[in-house]
Amino acid sequence: MATVAVATPYRAPRTERAKSIRRHVLIYLGLLPFLGLAVFPIFWMLVTALKQEPDLYRMDVVPFWFHLPPTWKNFDFLFHRTSYGDWIVNTMAIAFWVSAITLLTAVPAGYALARLRLPFAENLGIGIFMTYLVPGIILFLPLARVVSTLELQDSWWSLVAVYPTITIPFCTWLLMGFFKTVPFEIEEAAMVDGCGQLGALLRVVLPVSWPGLITAVIFSFTLSMQDFLYALAFVSVSDQKPVPLGVATELIRGDVYFWGSLMAGALLVGVPVAIVYNLFLDKFISGITGAAIK
Amino acid sequence: MSQIAAGGGPSPGAPATVAVGGRVRDISWGRTATARRYLFGYTLLAPAVLYVALLVGIPFVFSLYLAVSDASVGVPVARFVGLENFKAALENSAFWTAVRNTVVFTLGAGIMKGLLGTALAFLLIQPFKGRRVVRALVVIPFTLPIAVSVLGWKWMFDSQFSVINWALSRLNLIGAYGSPEWPVWLGQPALALFSVMFVNVWRGFPFSAIVLMAGMTSIPPEIIDAGKVDGATFLQRFRKIIVPMIAPILFIGSAFDTVFTLSDLSIVYLLTNGGPDGATEILPTLAYNTGIKAGALGRGAAISLSLFPLLLPLMILLLRTLRRRQY
Repeated sequence: MATVAVATPYRAPRTERAKSIRRHVLIYLGLLPFLGLAVFPIFWMLVTALKQEPDLYRMDVVPFWFHLPPTWKNFDFLFHRTSYGDWIVNTMAIAFWVSAITLLTAVPAGYALARLRLPFAENLGIGIFMTYLVPGIILFLPLARVVSTLELQDSWWSLVAVYPTITIPFCTWLLMGFFKTVPFEIEEAAMVDGCGQLGALLRVVLPVSWPGLITAVIFSFTLSMQDFLYALAFVSVSDQKPVPLGVATELIRGDVYFWGSLMAGALLVGVPVAIVYNLFLDKFISGITGAAIK
Repeated sequence: MSQIAAGGGPSPGAPATVAVGGRVRDISWGRTATARRYLFGYTLLAPAVLYVALLVGIPFVFSLYLAVSDASVGVPVARFVGLENFKAALENSAFWTAVRNTVVFTLGAGIMKGLLGTALAFLLIQPFKGRRVVRALVVIPFTLPIAVSVLGWKWMFDSQFSVINWALSRLNLIGAYGSPEWPVWLGQPALALFSVMFVNVWRGFPFSAIVLMAGMTSIPPEIIDAGKVDGATFLQRFRKIIVPMIAPILFIGSAFDTVFTLSDLSIVYLLTNGGPDGATEILPTLAYNTGIKAGALGRGAAISLSLFPLLLPLMILLLRTLRRRQY
């Protein structure tokens, strides 16, 4: 009696489980090459950043691990022998100002396009978004003239002026979609309670839209660290560079590559950006592909 | 005389202001609720529109002007030279090499990204344990700042201490260092083009996968189940249901990706800077080296504008899908 009672409920789950295990194994096997491809370069950069110089140039031993004790020397070098500290400060300052400019312009614009039933609102919205697709490679030469007219060349302020050309169109589009989802009723209720249109925006719509606002800030922030072209074209003075440009141009002297420090400097800013971007990736994707999916 | 004129200036002006003010009031700006809303709305729009117009619109027009001038860095005056810059570009064999490389690079990498992305998307939409972690790890290439990851690849493609070569030689797939069978990834023309494309694919395939996944999850499972009930095999379901439903999304994803790829110079600039001997020169690097490094702004603008015919069909396509979304 007892054995039957135990055996029957166990048999079904076991085949089920075997099936599920087999399925998992197949999926993991399929994913393995993709995971290796995606993660190995990061692992390799990290190992390189922590290796001592002689350890980098040995082909006789397995290079994936340490043969001399790991060291912080490469990070030390960055902060004491290069302008890395300046580059981080510049990058943060650029990211801050670009986010501020983007919020101050894209929030009102997105709100107006989504809520105020303006004539031509749709076309204006699409028109603004289309400028996101005009690539930097077409704009960087005329912008070089603009930057020198504003006397911003070789200053990180030039990037503060230029990056909003990418962030404003994208974030206006993104926030437009976002404001459309805020129910009209809460805005109307606020206006009945004596708020003006602006009061309703500031007191009611913005507070419930904070996820959209944060997305806009994250986009602006990460973009300031993703760009390479504009930084390369407009800033050539060492202490004015943002991190990616500084690492890519100042740690290579002629034919000599400071590989350890290069990797250290790249990862130090790359990893935080990758983590933050990862969290907001779905919003980014739905921002640009919502067209086809909805 | 001039004093009288100056003194007389404001007085004719003053009634005009009143008149304008009066006319404005006549068409009831600020009086009806609708008009107030329009005024409010366009005021909110103005900063964004002005910013984009000033720093995208005007520079774009200005680049057309640069392309027909002999403008150069450090020389404030530019002369109109007609289509001279375009003619010079078209007569230059380096330009045609760059065009060819750009097309090969964009198409080849695009196809690879589409294939890898589709395969990955099909794996990732399956329910399995640890999916979120796997997904977060697999998208790393796309989320890392491009200059950062390209530097990592440069080290992995090192002519002597390449970790790829180390692994390949341990597997006896290539010869020893210094022998002709030792690949110098960034130093041999065909390999160099392959390598820069590979890095682009590496960066872009997670993007294709995520875009496709977003599209696939929007396919209602009922449709696929209905196909199953009606006796469609997996292949039939794939061809008749899944492909037609995800094709538009793959298309949009690829269009965006192509716009990014066509305008990106950092991979080639940092890995090979167009070398060896022009084997990896693409239009963006050629435009940068001509316009900024050599300082020939006009020539550079002409080269970068020659990307426009490649970009325009994509932009029109995206514009049309964006419009469709509205209705």
